[in-house]
Amino acid sequence: MPNTSFYETEIDRLYSEMPMRPEQYARVRQSKALMEEYYGDKIELDDLAQSAFMSRFHYGRTFQRMYGLTPRIFLRDLRIAKAKALIRQGISITQVCADVGYESLPTFSAVFKKCTGQTPKQYQLSHKSNLE
Amino acid sequence: MIKINVTSVPVNDQTKALDFYTRVLGFMKKTDVPVGEHRWLTVVSQEEQSGVELLLEPMAFEPAQVYQQALKEAGIPYTSFAVDDLQSEYERLVELGVEFSMPPKEAGPVIIAVLDDTVGNNIQIMQYL
Repeated sequence: MPNTSFYETEIDRLYSEMPMRPEQYARVRQSKALMEEYYGDKIELDDLAQSAFMSRFHYGRTFQRMYGLTPRIFLRDLRIAKAKALIRQGISITQVCADVGYESLPTFSAVFKKCTGQTPKQYQLSHKSNLE
Repeated sequence: MIKINVTSVPVNDQTKALDFYTRVLGFMKKTDVPVGEHRWLTVVSQEEQSGVELLLEPMAFEPAQVYQQALKEAGIPYTSFAVDDLQSEYERLVELGVEFSMPPKEAGPVIIAVLDDTVGNNIQIMQYL
């Protein structure tokens, strides 16, 4: 298509009218990259906000505006997605719990069930039975 | 808990669509069942074979063709798919002869590009940054 489409023109217009400056986007992206790298460690919201050079409140709002969910929920979903992959690889649930940054197995199990509808054990069994 | 299990794109040729969505984009065929003169034809991501199915839906309803055509002409994507690395995916698809109406463009938290799926639609691919 030789000419710029209506869609592309609209994207440019909407992006230019967004209230955030490009460097703010970059800082929040950097904090997201931190979660993606260190999801197995203890991560505090204050540390993430600090890495984005924002107050805790402003950081949470900005992250949600960009990605549609809070940093806490993003990190939870990331950890559970990683946990599912590790369980499918045959790693023990206790090990998975530690590997994805949860200190307590009951908390990990409860969160896992809330996100997937199954406990880690049920998920592990259903995956094993699929393989057989 | 309610879930999305099937979504669809309207296609003007199901056979051609299956070729493009599998061989070119990289989805896998999941269901292919004859339904009258058409097929219930779905594809899934190779990474999530139990995940959401994309129905390659025949354009049997006349008014839908008008809508599809209007979106196409305005460059508006019918739907959007996620990729891990948009730039490399863009280069791979260009190499395969795929036409893009919008090359990779950064827009806030995402990079997006828009391609022609050869069966009547613009499709957006996106990567969260």
